[in-house]
Amino acid sequence: MASGSFTRGMRSVWRSLRSMRTALILLLLLGLGSVVGSLVPQAPSSPARVAQLFADRPLLARIYDALGFFDVYGSWWFTLLYVLLLISLGACLVPRTRGLVRGLGARWQPARDLEGLRHYASGRVEGSPGEAVGRARRALRRRGWGVRSGGEDALAAEKGLAREMGSLAFHWAFFLLLIGVVLGRGFGFTGQATVIEGEVFTEAHASYDFPPREGRFFDEGHAGFQVRVLDFEVTYREGGLPRDFVSRVEVLEQGEVVRTEEIRVNDPLGHRGVKLYQSGYGWAPVVEVRHEGELLASDPIVFVTDDPNDALRPWRGAIKLPGLAPQVGLELQLLPDPAAFVAGRPMLEARDPFLAYRAYRGDLQLTEAQSVFRLEKERLEEYDGGGVAIGETVEVPGGLELTFRDLRRYTQLLVKRDPGTGLMLATAVLILVGLIPALSSSRRRIWVRAVPDGEGTRLEIGGFALQRKGAFDEEFSRLVRDLVPQGRVRVP
Amino acid sequence: MTEASNTAFGVALALYLVAMVGYLHHFAYRRPMSLTVARAVAYLGLAAHTLSVVLRGVAAGRVPWGNMYEYASVVGLAVVAVYLLVVERRAEVRRLGGFVLGSTVLIMAASTMVYVEPGPLIPALNSGWLRIHVLSAIVASALFTLGFVFTVLYLIQARRERRVERRAERPAPAMAAVGSGLPHDLAVEADPERGRATVTLGPEQGNGHGGMPGRPPRRGRLPGAEVLDDLAGKAITFAFPIWTFAVIAGAIWAEQAWGRYWGWDPKEVWSFVTWVFFAGYLHARATQGWRGRRAAVIALLGFAAMVFNLTVVNLVVSGLHSYAGV
Repeated sequence: MASGSFTRGMRSVWRSLRSMRTALILLLLLGLGSVVGSLVPQAPSSPARVAQLFADRPLLARIYDALGFFDVYGSWWFTLLYVLLLISLGACLVPRTRGLVRGLGARWQPARDLEGLRHYASGRVEGSPGEAVGRARRALRRRGWGVRSGGEDALAAEKGLAREMGSLAFHWAFFLLLIGVVLGRGFGFTGQATVIEGEVFTEAHASYDFPPREGRFFDEGHAGFQVRVLDFEVTYREGGLPRDFVSRVEVLEQGEVVRTEEIRVNDPLGHRGVKLYQSGYGWAPVVEVRHEGELLASDPIVFVTDDPNDALRPWRGAIKLPGLAPQVGLELQLLPDPAAFVAGRPMLEARDPFLAYRAYRGDLQLTEAQSVFRLEKERLEEYDGGGVAIGETVEVPGGLELTFRDLRRYTQLLVKRDPGTGLMLATAVLILVGLIPALSSSRRRIWVRAVPDGEGTRLEIGGFALQRKGAFDEEFSRLVRDLVPQGRVRVP
Repeated sequence: MTEASNTAFGVALALYLVAMVGYLHHFAYRRPMSLTVARAVAYLGLAAHTLSVVLRGVAAGRVPWGNMYEYASVVGLAVVAVYLLVVERRAEVRRLGGFVLGSTVLIMAASTMVYVEPGPLIPALNSGWLRIHVLSAIVASALFTLGFVFTVLYLIQARRERRVERRAERPAPAMAAVGSGLPHDLAVEADPERGRATVTLGPEQGNGHGGMPGRPPRRGRLPGAEVLDDLAGKAITFAFPIWTFAVIAGAIWAEQAWGRYWGWDPKEVWSFVTWVFFAGYLHARATQGWRGRRAAVIALLGFAAMVFNLTVVNLVVSGLHSYAGV
């Protein structure tokens, strides 16, 4: 019967999912998968390197692409491994947890054959069996053993339950951690905002530099508060290494300032579950463009650099004037500190900044997607070039006038909501708290039985340890010396 | 200050080398004198090394683990310190000092290839978490390194012991050996629990006649495989929670600095892979049929992942951690 063999097959899959070894192998495979992700360029983080690989080695790139190697962490097989690991881990943990809970509640069976245990001792002591067992109970309790009575003349004791509890806490915490990662991604979002000094950013889908990455279950909308960047400051050490990046901001709710804060690297601003991180910065010159006296543009323009760590480079930007006929584009380069540039020193501060421009005319090709920082020059011809210092105006042929009015900075903020972070922190703490007893303590059991022997009592003690057997030899011998001073001890 | 730190580093390296030779001499010839000298020199080396690290911190005006050179130097320091102050309290493992110091000498020699002058850190690294995240990674790495040394020695010794066992199981040559009046006290014990026989030699092990036909191959001068396995297990078991803490502290720091606690950055990936291997090792040790050789191989893989993370990921693979690079 086909359905019978299918059921059997599913059963055997389920059985193997429930084994610890399967969970470990899945974890290992997940590790190997992530190794691939660390060695092959990943499209979400470095699309340029992926494109480069497609250009250099098309066959290899196509194979990688088919296998999902360019987006390992979003690939179907990574997700599958992840889900299987979750199922397997859960399937291991549920019966173990049930076992622990049952064991806590259950009455212990007195061991029948104490002599058959790994550790055994016997000897004569004074007093009745009840007294002898009472002494043993007190001695064990003093040493921190959990003692259960097996009647007048017998007892059972256990120590090191913390090991199993710690181990379960660790594994459940790891399980929750895996779930929390998914939930956090699913319910949160990440976006990047470029805000020029003095301007206001609204936490809304449309105001990010490019559409923010929103999780699958992200539906409650954005927070809608506003952030005004008062100013942005970079401080440098001697030698030009940046010391700190600071954005001073006001948070506004319905137009009212509710708080004034500083956002620094390593010190984000949190507001209503949304966190803002300092992630980048740059220059934004304010340039007024007039055409035959009419003001065409006066907003600050965001300039970029190819390498923010290299302050020797000029910053670049562009102005596009599609309303003119023919269309005009200006390619701009900013020297924040021309004297430093000439001397080959890094341009860290603005000192008499200078804007160089090249003017192009023709067709800007704005119907096609293009960068705002540069011109598409195939259908443009260069017709003029020059420069303008701050506060000055320069005339460009064709009735244009450029005024370099002001130089401001902009700050780049990473804006993020991840409702799973709190859970993550809690599980991380639980992982550590569980791990320590799970690795350091050992489970061991002892049984004591007393039988009348003439005037006194013959006391029998048996025990075993599940871990750290060597250490238990000594512990057992010490215990026996206390309880049965004249006894005979047999340790393996 | 920098110069003094570098001089102390060089002195420490030289002293470690001398101590290593002394330990190895003791290992080979069993002279108590060479052990005494080696230990004294190793302690001097440790003092010079500590001085070097402290001066480095003063010169840089921050904790002395802000780049690869400093990281490796402090790992080496921690390896020697843990070995001398903790491991050596067990008398029977004192003859392993040569191997441990050898690993430190290698680490320190390699660290000079990525030497940089002390300097301040870039803003992203400038956080209280640097102290705690990097220090815990250093301590765990040092313990993993010790675990690696003991695991390798364990594999060598276990192989040797298996060979002795095989010889002992073949009755004729073994009896010949006992009958030949060698200064041995050869005892074969059945160990029903492990389903095999254990061979114990008398106190005078390793007589130099090993490998000759008709005689038991020598058991070598290493401590017993069980002792070495126990040492490796202890080092790694101790290191594992510390490594876990280092990864978690890194995640908390990443959340603060980069806005995400986990982003599959290469450094993160490889620290996760290291974690997975050592977690596998701990599980294997607790599993019948996996403890011993198979577990040891997993530990070696974990160590390889750790070294890869420190070297190749820092120097070759690009990622957010790469500015921490050299």
